[in-house]
Amino acid sequence: MRTSVIRAIAMKDLRESAANSQVLAPMLIVPLIFVVVYPLGLLIGLRYMPADEVRSLFEMVPADVFPTIAGLTDIGKAAYIATSYLFSAFFLIIPAMMATILAANSFAGEKERHTLEGMLYTPATDSELVIGKILGAVVPAVAFSWVCFVIYAVLVNVFGTPLVGRAYFPTPNWWVLMLLVVPTVSVFVTACVVWVSARVATYQAANSIAGLVVLPVLLLVLGQVTGVMIAGPGVFAALGVVLGVLDLLLLRWIVRTFDRERVVAAFI
Amino acid sequence: MRDGDRVSRELALDASGLSRSFGDTVALESVDLTLETGGVFGLLGPNGAGKTTTVRILTGVLQPDSAEHLRVLGHELPGDVEAVRQRVGVQTDTALYERLSATDNLTFYGALYGMSKADAERSAASLLDRFGLAGRAAEKVGAYSKGMKQKVLIARALIADPDLVFFDEPTAGLDPEAAHELMAYVRDLSRERGTTFFITSHRLEEIESVCTRVGVLAGGRIAAQGAPHEVASAIIPEVRIRVAPAPGARLDMEALEALPDVVRALPDDGGAVVQANSRDAIPGLVRAIAAMPHDLVAVAEEPPTLEEAYLRLMGNGAASLKGADGS
Repeated sequence: MRTSVIRAIAMKDLRESAANSQVLAPMLIVPLIFVVVYPLGLLIGLRYMPADEVRSLFEMVPADVFPTIAGLTDIGKAAYIATSYLFSAFFLIIPAMMATILAANSFAGEKERHTLEGMLYTPATDSELVIGKILGAVVPAVAFSWVCFVIYAVLVNVFGTPLVGRAYFPTPNWWVLMLLVVPTVSVFVTACVVWVSARVATYQAANSIAGLVVLPVLLLVLGQVTGVMIAGPGVFAALGVVLGVLDLLLLRWIVRTFDRERVVAAFI
Repeated sequence: MRDGDRVSRELALDASGLSRSFGDTVALESVDLTLETGGVFGLLGPNGAGKTTTVRILTGVLQPDSAEHLRVLGHELPGDVEAVRQRVGVQTDTALYERLSATDNLTFYGALYGMSKADAERSAASLLDRFGLAGRAAEKVGAYSKGMKQKVLIARALIADPDLVFFDEPTAGLDPEAAHELMAYVRDLSRERGTTFFITSHRLEEIESVCTRVGVLAGGRIAAQGAPHEVASAIIPEVRIRVAPAPGARLDMEALEALPDVVRALPDDGGAVVQANSRDAIPGLVRAIAAMPHDLVAVAEEPPTLEEAYLRLMGNGAASLKGADGS
């Protein structure tokens, strides 16, 4: 595999996506809501919420899960649990969503726009094509998630610290989430979308089917938000390791089963 | 990429017994193709005849269902497909990256061929200049006209200085002047650099003007193959002699038709077209016509054109003979 070819494919995809407002718009709007609007709304709104509503935010979570918040005020407990745990699930949606949009656009989108066939005539190998396409979606998805994390961390420290009474963010689960889970989720979702994209004719179809891939991520988010399953560093680490292994297997399988003829068949 | 000694000894294309079907539809059936290095091959055929399928098989993107042998630039397909792809450039009915500039489109393809950024930029600039697009090289190609996009697609196929170039309807969307320039460029590259071209086109006069060898695909089979004049003569075996009288002179059609070896004589464009039964009869006929009491300005054999031959082969014989019968 030639890294220069992989880099060229990934960079080209990145430049194309960056110039496409239809791709950019959902990628900017959804994170803006998850990273800025929800957290800020909660951290500001907590000051004005009735006490019983504030308590309801953390009472559904078993108290022994968060021994460090024992001495905090109710508002402090709610701010801590929401920003440290509940919102962390949103950071699984952001890379998964970005990877889905970017990968579907770069592979099924290229098929639909009749730009992919030209690449199939070049000396770029199947491995280079697949890896280049996957990196073209994974790298921006991870990088953007990290940027979102930095913004979120600043907001939480500015607006959350006064409520909790001390600087507490980021908690250990966030480091595992951002450094291990976000990259592995991004690779997993992207690889699935690329696999689907190679088998369908349109961007729309790829996006629809790829939505199923995000379903387990959404279930995890739901579990986290409702307090059914509180993912701490251990859960995230286990999730990251499992996804990492799955990613390796999936990538090998996709490269092995990538079939130019099947892709070209979409044009016949 | 180019290796003069090796290239000069190679048969650029050598395929035998290529067959390919899609479901119940037979796209190609026992197709044989050969082309010497440096030659320009024109593949003719109506829409759906299998021209693009042929290009896809010869570039290793599609596999034939069966083939006795398939060698491209001396490499066996499908085994040596990567070596083949490194040496071929392909322009088909694909699209460009509309949100990228012409230069970026070309340099990206250069990178796929393993070219350095500097080499790819140099080659892109040279090709865009060659096709009259240097002034708009930095513009996004989405703003280009169809003809300009077609030029960029052609330049893209040439970015890595390939030994073998596949052009699928290269002049579609080009104005006549640009189409003429492209054909001249193809001829130059073929003669001066030994580049081999495989061109599919509906524009028969272009194919006839530039190709050293043509093949006609009909119903998935090669119906005729050879030099353009050989193919035309094989499909239209009749020998025709055009007789042009001096202004004001009238030809005696009955006398013409009465000459030995003449099958028929038909008025055409103020003169006549005399159809003979064999090529051997031409010298005697020319002498006999010249000896007739008419003031003539020309008596010459009129070889069949590729267009006439193609149309006859495709079942439009009446159209191909329109000039001859004066209708």
